[in-house]
Amino acid sequence: MTNWCMVIDLDKCVACQACSIACRMENNTPVVSPEEAKNGRAIRWNDVFPLPVHFGPDLGEYPNVKTHYQTRPCMHCKNAPCVKACPVQATYIDEEGIVRQNYNRCIGCRFCTVACPYGVRYFNWYKPQWEGTLAEYRNPDQVRVNGSLEGPAVRPVGVVEKCTYCVHRLVKAREQAAAEGREFRADEYVPACVQTCTGKARYFGDLDDPNSTVSQLSKSLRAVHLLEDSGAHPKTLYLSEG
Amino acid sequence: MTKKLSRRDFLKVAAATGGAAAVVGGTKALFTSSQAKAAGAGQLTTSAQDVIVPGVCSLCPSGCGILARVADGKVVKLEGNPMHPINLGALCPKGQAAPELLYNPDRITGPMKRNGERGSGDWDEISWDDAAQLVAEQIRAAREAGHPESVALMYGDTRGQLRSFFERFMQAVGSPNLVSKESLNTAAAKLGMFLTQGLYALPVYDLENANYILSFGANLLEAGWNPQRTISGWTFGRRGRSNRNKIVVIDPRQGVHGAKADEWIPINPGTDAALALGMAYVIIKSNLFDSQFVHDYGFGFDDFVGEGGKTRKGFKNWVLENYDPKKVEKITGVPATTIARLAGELASNKPAVAVLPGKGGLLNGGMGGVYAAMAIHMLNGLIGAIESPGGVLAQQYFPVTPYPDLSKDTVAAKGLQAERVDGAGTLFPLARHAYQAVADRVLEGYPLEALFLYDCNPVFDAPGGAKFIQAFEKIPLVVSFSTFMDESAQYADLVLPEPTFLERWQDDYIEGLGYPGIALRQPVIEPLYDTMNTADFLLRVANSLGGEIAKAFPWDSYEQVLEFRLQEIGSDWEALKELGVWLTPGYRFAKRGSERWFDIVGRDRLRAPRDGYFDFYSRELFTLLGKKNKGDLEKFGVTQMGDGAALPHPEPVAYAGGEAEFPFVLNVFTLMSLGPKSETANMPSLQEISGMTVRETWDSWLEMNPKSAEELGLRENDRVNIESPFGRIRTQVKLAPGLHPDVVNLPFNQGHTAVGRFAKGRGVNGLEIMNPASEPLCGLAAFTNTRVKVSRA
Repeated sequence: MTNWCMVIDLDKCVACQACSIACRMENNTPVVSPEEAKNGRAIRWNDVFPLPVHFGPDLGEYPNVKTHYQTRPCMHCKNAPCVKACPVQATYIDEEGIVRQNYNRCIGCRFCTVACPYGVRYFNWYKPQWEGTLAEYRNPDQVRVNGSLEGPAVRPVGVVEKCTYCVHRLVKAREQAAAEGREFRADEYVPACVQTCTGKARYFGDLDDPNSTVSQLSKSLRAVHLLEDSGAHPKTLYLSEG
Repeated sequence: MTKKLSRRDFLKVAAATGGAAAVVGGTKALFTSSQAKAAGAGQLTTSAQDVIVPGVCSLCPSGCGILARVADGKVVKLEGNPMHPINLGALCPKGQAAPELLYNPDRITGPMKRNGERGSGDWDEISWDDAAQLVAEQIRAAREAGHPESVALMYGDTRGQLRSFFERFMQAVGSPNLVSKESLNTAAAKLGMFLTQGLYALPVYDLENANYILSFGANLLEAGWNPQRTISGWTFGRRGRSNRNKIVVIDPRQGVHGAKADEWIPINPGTDAALALGMAYVIIKSNLFDSQFVHDYGFGFDDFVGEGGKTRKGFKNWVLENYDPKKVEKITGVPATTIARLAGELASNKPAVAVLPGKGGLLNGGMGGVYAAMAIHMLNGLIGAIESPGGVLAQQYFPVTPYPDLSKDTVAAKGLQAERVDGAGTLFPLARHAYQAVADRVLEGYPLEALFLYDCNPVFDAPGGAKFIQAFEKIPLVVSFSTFMDESAQYADLVLPEPTFLERWQDDYIEGLGYPGIALRQPVIEPLYDTMNTADFLLRVANSLGGEIAKAFPWDSYEQVLEFRLQEIGSDWEALKELGVWLTPGYRFAKRGSERWFDIVGRDRLRAPRDGYFDFYSRELFTLLGKKNKGDLEKFGVTQMGDGAALPHPEPVAYAGGEAEFPFVLNVFTLMSLGPKSETANMPSLQEISGMTVRETWDSWLEMNPKSAEELGLRENDRVNIESPFGRIRTQVKLAPGLHPDVVNLPFNQGHTAVGRFAKGRGVNGLEIMNPASEPLCGLAAFTNTRVKVSRA
């Protein structure tokens, strides 16, 4: 079975935030009001943020300063704390290594948002809304598992949502291959953020295939996981700068 | 199957038949399942009909190719077009958010005519025919009065054939007044190229092949003149090749590019020329320059004998006498050892390139900025990086089919001789355009009977833009072609909305890679509202005007104009529609001294010979300034006389506002998210991510060095007044450790008073308190010489 994995090369990432917006348009994450955004309730499954780091003899003093920009999708952990915390099994790891969220099962307790060491689970405090004609551009794709909604389907108020590695694209690519009567290949599908990346900093593929780009990159000396010691066994890999 | 199926027809047919299998005009069925099928990861339900249509984004000057996913007639997603060489399948946040532009609830839904007072917001509907009649009548009246030059058109981006189309229209009417926005952004860099290499064009940098990139305030990662292009080049050099490049950023503001570079060199604002000349000193002294280039293809490197047998000072001695790095250290604040190291790195890690800012940075805005641009570009000349791999290339274009001969009537011929409304070429001798000066000149009495605004919003985007509201009062007819009711459209008499880039025909030159290419915008869906392509509207106006003007435009639609102009680029029209791009990849280098070399060096010179010599001593400037006396030169902001005026040198910045009262230099910079255009400020997702670097959202902020803020007793998020000699605005402070203590930064494109519900009333517009003057020689907006004081609000 494929083991989907993303690798992000921070030497090529230029913090443009195309990933954030590509994700929004693909997955129907709503724009929240400016006031809610200021309160940190914006829903961007892949956010980018600055981390000031300092070097040189006068730490943090001009001009020996540097800001590091971090882009952060879900880590799709192998030992995911969110899955363990969920009392109703609304979030689960599927057989291809993607941590998924079932909106129909979710009871909105937000245990998972607290359990996640990376802060990549987002709660719908309000009914998602698109002002006026803006609703027209919503992605019509929906993924159903045993009748329950997942993926880009518009979420009801009070549920948690998260990065799905654009699982609907995977389903779609599989169906396309089936319709054309051929085998599905792992390079036929990438999430929206990978496709749009302006610096071509993102790679995606099957970590268990020794010939795939991601598995080759995972052996790089620059390859690191975020918060390796969290015990979550994060899968999404970063290649460090420089 | 009929070949002549227009997009609109196609969409109708496709909708009627319910099938999207046909591959017509750039559309192909990607996925057509309406039935859920069982699959491992779940079942999918999606739209009945998915079509992918290529186009080109227009939200910044990059012009990235897009593929729009149209699901059941609605644009639901944009992806980058992998065939387009600028973005190679990538797309920045602005392009990604473009469905928010298309389906924006604040779009103007049809042509409107002012009813009440100017700016009262009272509008009547008007038909396109009546609007065309009204505009034609105004033009006819101006022509009958013998003053066709009283018709003016101001524009922002004119892509592809639109520039030449506008030129043709204005020439047929008889007005020289076609005014570009470039004096606000790219003109300084173009002049730097023009006065050295003799090309009035933006340089093209072969970033992919450069081992060493020295960026002088060029905001390569956020908002240069072609950000996606420079991002591609930057990141390819990081990991796309066997040896990693080195990138050094020189800028008072660290920003994203300084943080992502290998080295950030903070510099005193406005002193880039001195630094470049200090580096030139080291390169010359260490004999690291390309001797063949500077001697055989460069002019004025060594001292030479000019007219009348007078010995003229060459670049070499000029630099060696004046720009010892120890002296430069005092001006720039960059240690002499660093200057020497950078010079050595640049000259001995070829291919290497010194990059000019197209937009942003503290270089633009005064004659000192132009000298700086010259000095920086001369570094490329010194190391022989002109027309060489990994260096500076010159943009090539497809030969397009020439328009039929234009026979101007006598009125037009006379009108074209008139002085321009912006004073370019007369009041501002070196200027080609002086956008911000239009308001001043109209208020001073230049009579305008009609003013057209295309893709520009001068009331908002020119420094001190409020003066345009007064200027409009003197113009009987102001027409805005804006898609949104922006600050300028509010004060117009007619608002004739153009459809968004997803709904209109337009071509686009692929610029930034050197080799020629064309990309095509086409309506990916039927236009949502009663909008009209501006070029189509002008065709109607031309038709109503009759006579020679109507004869000059024998086309029924702009689509036909494009088909006519692009018939010989090598692509069939249908193929171009299907692919969205057409190009001949692979830059052909001109050999030094060959026939083609004359197209690369010296081509556009006006007052100096087009002899293929790269000027280290600007003959263009010498002809213009060499014999002027001190007083005249001072009026132009030039402190050196004779040879000095023709050679690059640092000019002290003529700041508005004394240093004692106004201690900080104001830098208004453009963000990757909000970009340069007013309409992007009304896209809610972009507002949400706009303040990423300082963890702000939906608002403005003022970046300050923490030490400077501490001295004023200011802490993060404190409200402050920012006051310049021209006004006062209020926002919040954000501490930016990576910022020169004497500079404060304010992001552009907030502080709108119009445009729409998402843009209006958010933050402040820094241009309101910026020096509204024009630089006297080149007509540049004085973008960088405003000082401000900051105090707790």
